[in-house]
Amino acid sequence: MEIYLPIAEMSINAFVLLGLGAAAGLLAGMFGVGGGFLATPLLIFVGIPPTVAVASQANQVIANSISSLQVQWRRGNVDLRMGLILLLGGMLGSSAGVWLFTYLNRIGQIDFVIAVLYVVMLSTIGLLMLVESLRTYIRRRRNPTGPRGKLHTHYLVHRLPLKLRFYKSKLYISALLPIAVGFAIGVLSAILGVGGGFVLVPAMIYLLGMPTAVVIGTSNFQILFVAANVTLLQAITNGTVDVVLALLLILGGVVGAPIGARVAAKLPGVVLRGLMALLILAVAVELLTELIRTPSSPFSLGTRESAL
Amino acid sequence: MIRLALALVLVLALAATAAAQGPRVEPPGGLTGPGIGAPVGPLVPPSVPTEPSTPDLIVDLSRPRVSITSAFQGESMLLFGMFDPPGEIVVVVAGPPGRETVMRKQRVLGLWLNTGRQAFDDVPAYYAIAASQPLQRLLARGSGEILSLEDRLATVKPVGERSPDEVAQFRNGLVEVKRSEGLYPAAIGQITVQAGRLFRVELPFPSGLDEGVYEIRTYLLREGRIVAAVSRPLPVGKVGFSAQLAGWAAHDGALYGLGAILMALLVGWAGGSVVRRL
Repeated sequence: MEIYLPIAEMSINAFVLLGLGAAAGLLAGMFGVGGGFLATPLLIFVGIPPTVAVASQANQVIANSISSLQVQWRRGNVDLRMGLILLLGGMLGSSAGVWLFTYLNRIGQIDFVIAVLYVVMLSTIGLLMLVESLRTYIRRRRNPTGPRGKLHTHYLVHRLPLKLRFYKSKLYISALLPIAVGFAIGVLSAILGVGGGFVLVPAMIYLLGMPTAVVIGTSNFQILFVAANVTLLQAITNGTVDVVLALLLILGGVVGAPIGARVAAKLPGVVLRGLMALLILAVAVELLTELIRTPSSPFSLGTRESAL
Repeated sequence: MIRLALALVLVLALAATAAAQGPRVEPPGGLTGPGIGAPVGPLVPPSVPTEPSTPDLIVDLSRPRVSITSAFQGESMLLFGMFDPPGEIVVVVAGPPGRETVMRKQRVLGLWLNTGRQAFDDVPAYYAIAASQPLQRLLARGSGEILSLEDRLATVKPVGERSPDEVAQFRNGLVEVKRSEGLYPAAIGQITVQAGRLFRVELPFPSGLDEGVYEIRTYLLREGRIVAAVSRPLPVGKVGFSAQLAGWAAHDGALYGLGAILMALLVGWAGGSVVRRL
């Protein structure tokens, strides 16, 4: 069934978008991350203009995070204080990110920057995950119970000023660090159209030292508002949010997420992470090939301005 | 995290230098360079006054407008009519003129990125030409205002200063991209003539069509001279839901953004609740 996307100004098969949304939802259900970091490159592969893909994906992230926040909030897994501090950075970062996005779009470099950032990010994360899951797998083989890591690491975080007490996270750290983390995720979110959970979650665990139980809920809280901010600013400055595209992705995700959760419950975690790492690396390689391969035509057109 | 930040800085620096290499586009209304190519443009009044129809030439379309609906996948429109023989028919379809920016990629450190750009004014959004005889033969006799795609594109105005060679390269790039998008169809098929006086031709419009009022001109030629011409406007526009959304997005971005957020919140919330109950 072909459907015309009013903002992307092109027609595409609706089932492709529903399937893409379902695949992203599947990942979300399996790994607890948004799946935006795979959905956006895939949207670009099927021919959606990168600027529209990024802005509409931010819109999709809102739906994704509200539906997992629903559960996390009820279970009391949101550290509101930490969430608000992260959000402060996130709002600043995403606003700066949209501004940067608009500038790069004007000078004609946005497609390139999106592609390069994705390659760098996906290959880094993919490799880290692959190494980690292989290491865990080998270690488990040798020693089935497995050694335990340290609960906390104490370094830079504890020396910065503006210390705040985060009761739920059982932390007493400087507010500057969560603000900086939130800012960085906000910029990523605006330029790449991702929630940023796949960067934010490890940052919260390893950098801030938050307990795992509150990490997912708190990151969802921050991502929800940052994605809303990105959607609003993109709609105002670039007019590139395609709600029809976003809606199809969301509907696909609603179906995909519970299937993913069920699959995740059956497969061992190590195998799951290994598979995910390979998938991420495959997308990174494909994007890199696009950047290196001689294009069929060196020419492309920017946005048309009609003479009035 | 540090590696990521470093990469970000590197990429931005790379992109900024690349952008600085290409000349900037002047804002609209700025100085425009001298037009390369023939000075004759579509502004030259037609040699024969065009009317909705003349006794010699009657033209109609299968539909009065191109409606871009939610199910739009491009459209093929039938142009048909009757003429007083003998003669040959030429049809020219031109989309509204506007500014197009052509970007050129080059390999920098092994990666392909945009390093040059050139804007052109007065570029038709769409351009197609068809004839009842091989076009070269008809146009060779100099039919004045009828321009082949190449001749029409020779009249677009490059913005800013650049060597004619370079401008020509970018202009060729413009045609290449437009052609691949189906907006400058190379051959829309010959006009078929039946019983010596009935003619018809299919006009192909792709899904990535720009909005605006297109102009369809039909000419009747005898011995290489235009004896009658008929002009018909063809409005191309989004209608219904698509039009409402696009208009909303263009004119009231803030409201549209809030609507998009609300939609995502509602669907996400409802979807999550429903699925968890299954």
